[in-house]
Amino acid sequence: MFRIAIQSKGRLCEPSLKFLRSSGFQFEFNNELILKCKNADLEIIFVRNGDIPIYLEQAVADFGIVGKNVLYEGNYSLSVLKELDFGICSLVIAAPEGKEDLDGERIATSYPNSLKKYLVKKKINASIIKIDGSVEVSPRLGLADAICDITQSGKTLEENRLKILDKILDSNAVLVGKSKSDWDKLIKSL
Amino acid sequence: MDKIKPIILKGTREYLPEEMAKRNLVMAKICKVFERFGYDSIETPIINPTQTILGKYGEEGDKLTYNFKDNGNRDICLPYDLTVPFARLVAANWPQLPMPFKRYQIQKVWRADKPQKGRQREFYQCDIDIIGSKSLLCEAEVAKVINSLFSELGFEKFVIKLNSRRLLNDIMNKFEIKDAKASIQIIDKLSKVGKKVVIEMLVKIGVEKAEELMSLLEPEATNKKTFEKFDDFDTSELEEFFDLCENLKIPSERLQFDPSLARGLDYYTGISFEVFSEEAPFGALCAGGRYDDLCSMFCNKDFSGVGVAFGFARIMLGLESMGKLNNVKLSSKVLVTIFDDKSINDSLSVYNDLIESGVNSEMYFEAAKLAKQFKYADKKNIPFVIIIGDEEKAKDEVTIKNMVSGKQKTIARKQLCSYLNNYTNV
Repeated sequence: MFRIAIQSKGRLCEPSLKFLRSSGFQFEFNNELILKCKNADLEIIFVRNGDIPIYLEQAVADFGIVGKNVLYEGNYSLSVLKELDFGICSLVIAAPEGKEDLDGERIATSYPNSLKKYLVKKKINASIIKIDGSVEVSPRLGLADAICDITQSGKTLEENRLKILDKILDSNAVLVGKSKSDWDKLIKSL
Repeated sequence: MDKIKPIILKGTREYLPEEMAKRNLVMAKICKVFERFGYDSIETPIINPTQTILGKYGEEGDKLTYNFKDNGNRDICLPYDLTVPFARLVAANWPQLPMPFKRYQIQKVWRADKPQKGRQREFYQCDIDIIGSKSLLCEAEVAKVINSLFSELGFEKFVIKLNSRRLLNDIMNKFEIKDAKASIQIIDKLSKVGKKVVIEMLVKIGVEKAEELMSLLEPEATNKKTFEKFDDFDTSELEEFFDLCENLKIPSERLQFDPSLARGLDYYTGISFEVFSEEAPFGALCAGGRYDDLCSMFCNKDFSGVGVAFGFARIMLGLESMGKLNNVKLSSKVLVTIFDDKSINDSLSVYNDLIESGVNSEMYFEAAKLAKQFKYADKKNIPFVIIIGDEEKAKDEVTIKNMVSGKQKTIARKQLCSYLNNYTNV
């Protein structure tokens, strides 16, 4: 039996299920966290986005659908079996108009490791403030001077009067897993 | 009255804070590696009855020990290495010790040698030993510790040279060498005096086929080729050792079978090691091997063991020359200044917050001119200075001056600890 871990809630959940259906897997979505495929020896497990790589690394799941940004943040070295055409976004640094130099500033983010890698690469010293959400309002509220966050259209940034200073990473969803041949075998069995 | 000259003895050293910060950092890394492999630490006395130390290092070694009489006219000897004091400790305590017994020990040792680069008369050794097991797994584990330690310290070009004393003895027999012990001690000098001189010395003590012997002992380009030269000898121990190392994922290019490696000390009986690196070309950075009856000098029990000593001074020189210690900082990250006499309590309160939240900080001890307080921070390489003036006080803020960039930033006082605790240090 194989297991695939996908996002339980959020922007990757629907497209992930759609991808599995279009690949030929049949299942009935019933809000349970573990779902059995009707036509394949595959269990779909619904977990938190950031936890998907953990299920793979600990050999509890064989495959996963996850954003590249999550792999980058956790320094996971999982093999990418397939690039997927959803979950497209970028991890960017943004700041209020007029703020260009990040040296010594407070930068709020939910991606502290990715930000740290960026700062090290650019040889910038700054203070990283880790928060779990609503990152884009933190400069307005006086918590931070700049942010590092995921953006799709740039609209939310604009609404919060933030300007993109630099891009850390382009991201999209990917199918990850330990064995490409296992995945192929699974698809063939359908 | 004449003042006493503030001198220290030749071959000894003292260290100011910048240097100590580097030494402490490296020492901590070394301990961390030892502890990861399950070694616990011990300490043995500096002053010892002479008979504990003397007679264990061959004639030449004995000459280098520090001996003196104490005020009670007792013969005292300082440790020459940590292996012999360890053997004595085992002989005195073995019934209480878990066997096999693994320990690390980092202490000073003394040798009345000619001081040279990387070798003082008083220096630290960092030893690990496993005693009470004859298994070759011990040698393999020691090789793994060596590999982890040098890799993690940042050495990239080190080689663990190794040989077997058993093999060397077999070779001595095959060449019908009468005084094997003396010959091995001469071969041990190879890296110092060169092949030609070694051959001359061997001939002098009656070794007939010295040239043939030395060309046999020369390592080839690969371990496989070196092994091929010894088809007529029993090299199973070494081969088994290489297999174990492979399973412990020690990169094969790190291990070099060097049949000329002799380790002059009398007590080695099996596989011995010496570590060299182009990055620190001052002789062996680590050395040791298997010994069989070290404790028998002190008790009736036989304990076989394996141990190596890491030369701390040479490791430090290597790391310094590679530039790996350029960014080591002193303790203080922050200096809290005192703006004027009436703001002392505000400074104390900020200082206390910093200390309680785990930021290494210090405060200036008087409301001197700010320029003077900055100068102090500069001299101590303290990266941040905190200023709480009237304006900051009124708004419950603090100003952080970055001493590296010169920039100033004012933030809410409550954010200061988080700001500093989460500051990247690139």
